[in-house]
Amino acid sequence: MKEGGSVRGLSRRGLVGAGAAVGALQVTAPYLLSARGEQPVRIGMIDPLTGVYATLAVSEVEGAKLAVAEINKAGGVLGRELQLLVEDSANDVGTGVQKARKLIDRDKVDVIFADVNSAIAYAISQVTNEKKVFHIVCGGHTDPITGKDCKWNVFRVCNTTTMDAAAITDTLVKTYGKKWFFITPDYAYGHSVQAAFVKRLTAHGGTYTGDLLPLGTADYSASLIKAKAYGPQVLINTMGGLDQINSLKQFVQFGLQKDMAVGGSLYELQIIQAVPKEAQIGWWTMEWWWNQPNLPEVARFVAAIRAATGKPAAARHWFGYLSVHAVKLAAERAKSLAGPAMARALEDLRLPPEVALQPGEIYFRAGDHQLMSNVFVGEAHPPEGDPANVFTVHEMVPGPTAAGTVADTGCHMAYPA
Amino acid sequence: MLRSATTPVLSRQRLGLAVLWLVLILVPFWVPFVGGYTQLAGRALVLGLAAMALNFLLGFTGVMSFGHAAWFGLGAYGTGLMLRYVTSSTLLATVAGVLLGGVLGTLLGRLLVRRRGVYFAMITIAFGQIFFYIAYRWNSLTGGDDGLRGFQRQPIGFGRFLLDIQGNDIALYYYLLFVFAICVGLMGLLLGSPFGRTLIAIRENERRARFLGIDVERQIWLSFSLSCFFCSAAGALYALLNNFADPMTLHYTLSGEIVIMAVMGGMRSFWGPLLGAAVFVVLQDYVSSMTVNWMSFIGLLFVLVVLFAPRGLLGVLQRETPR
Repeated sequence: MKEGGSVRGLSRRGLVGAGAAVGALQVTAPYLLSARGEQPVRIGMIDPLTGVYATLAVSEVEGAKLAVAEINKAGGVLGRELQLLVEDSANDVGTGVQKARKLIDRDKVDVIFADVNSAIAYAISQVTNEKKVFHIVCGGHTDPITGKDCKWNVFRVCNTTTMDAAAITDTLVKTYGKKWFFITPDYAYGHSVQAAFVKRLTAHGGTYTGDLLPLGTADYSASLIKAKAYGPQVLINTMGGLDQINSLKQFVQFGLQKDMAVGGSLYELQIIQAVPKEAQIGWWTMEWWWNQPNLPEVARFVAAIRAATGKPAAARHWFGYLSVHAVKLAAERAKSLAGPAMARALEDLRLPPEVALQPGEIYFRAGDHQLMSNVFVGEAHPPEGDPANVFTVHEMVPGPTAAGTVADTGCHMAYPA
Repeated sequence: MLRSATTPVLSRQRLGLAVLWLVLILVPFWVPFVGGYTQLAGRALVLGLAAMALNFLLGFTGVMSFGHAAWFGLGAYGTGLMLRYVTSSTLLATVAGVLLGGVLGTLLGRLLVRRRGVYFAMITIAFGQIFFYIAYRWNSLTGGDDGLRGFQRQPIGFGRFLLDIQGNDIALYYYLLFVFAICVGLMGLLLGSPFGRTLIAIRENERRARFLGIDVERQIWLSFSLSCFFCSAAGALYALLNNFADPMTLHYTLSGEIVIMAVMGGMRSFWGPLLGAAVFVVLQDYVSSMTVNWMSFIGLLFVLVVLFAPRGLLGVLQRETPR
């Protein structure tokens, strides 16, 4: 075409020649053309890259990027290149919803990933459901997303709050006692995680009180004084992100660790590493843990994350990584990128070990689209040897045991006609 | 600025107005070609209305409110709650949102008309935060920090004709533009009337206005109330645009953003805040896709405008026009 000069100067001879050349290329190198000629498969990832969840969100994006690079190296999805478009939700619902519409309407993405913040994940799921776009919630924990408000197009990788709480409550009651105090963030995640703990605790005949605190609280002294006065055996801390760091730092400054045990559901690797030594204590759950000596594929993943980012692999890396691979598995099983076809294809699909990265059968349950992965229950401690070795896994609770039945979640999955 | 004594300027202004409305009306047709999308234009329009409402008070009465997100958010919640619990009529819900924010603003406005300057600003922040915490804590009604969900804007029927603002983005944009036009038209009429003249008199020299026999407190109260009504209208539209209302629409950070839009666009001019809002929204949308430090860019632009163009971006564009 170049010889023809500008478009206006394109001669008939030039056009025929170009047509012949394209035709010849089809015969000689068909793979090259089909891979380059088609639109790439696009994933739109919305995460709070600024705000209190920034560290966690960045890890999810890093994990997803690693998976995208691997998949493209191995030939893409359905023979097409995979593209990841990342948008900042700024931890604000309105911005998140706007970004979802931008990605779907303007950038024509095939899949949406969103969001670490449960409220934003939820709000965006309204948009994706309306537009019939396949949606994976990588890291928002509130129960209704795969519970009473479950949607046919929405799958979730991270655990529900109920799964995390249920997996550890029995251990805490057995080890420390049944009188508990809660420090809980005052929004959807906090409410549902506390409710899950309380349900299990009262089943054991326990008693409790606690404080609900707004996101972004800097001063925890009032709540900690209240906790000391109540004299619980366990202080359950379910704050997230920077809030968790601040609250645990102050817990140690008050010297409360001598009076009561501390524990909770989530205490993510990035956060354990960010707190002072004295706060690296207590019983927690991990949704995935990097130190699984018997599994070579886990070691390979950990090394790849280390090579790409210089950081130890955290659960959030795995969320992003698994989400991208789930898109590939679903698309190739369905041989389509249409939302309903991909959703059907992913249901109950057993994930291969190099994606599951843990023992046992790992799959998205058809009834509620929740990933059935192990909950890693254990104890946090200051680094031993490797700086990322801050947690010892004592027990792996299988997903279905922690999650209960689909009927318990309250989900009624309805596909569009 | 609104009216000018000489006819050539007047006709030039008319021409400018005609071009502006043409641009606004044709948004769905040109926006995709410059890499935008209709939802973005809708957001700019809604925030532009909020900034213009603030400017009614800030630019034309000379009183600074730092809590306008309160009325914006109340408009959003009023509309959302109405759609969720009471009615499926989008028009009725919009009116309910406007009334909720406007009436509460009018009532509370009575308490602050004697305050000036920083005291006025502080009290408006306080009012805003009151409503923020009510929405944040009242989980059963407002959904708390999760926001109010479970409502959808509904198609609007006029007899046999149905405007599908639910599924059609372009129809939604025209509904937003329709409400925007009503509000802006009213605002223009008010500012052109003798009432508007008294507001500008107060802005220019409050003591002299008082000596002239103008009831300054009453005029400021009226101006504040009207500004609240217009701002709630913007909030009501925001709820429809997102199908969602969340506490951050009540938060003082949004109040600050509205002030930034008004000042950046030009608070001495009628249309400046709309330009400021458009620049803010578009910049946020584009830059935040490239870098997480998008706030720095908006901050930098704001600093530059304040330092070098005190009359705002529109002031720079209009430099040659005689005043």
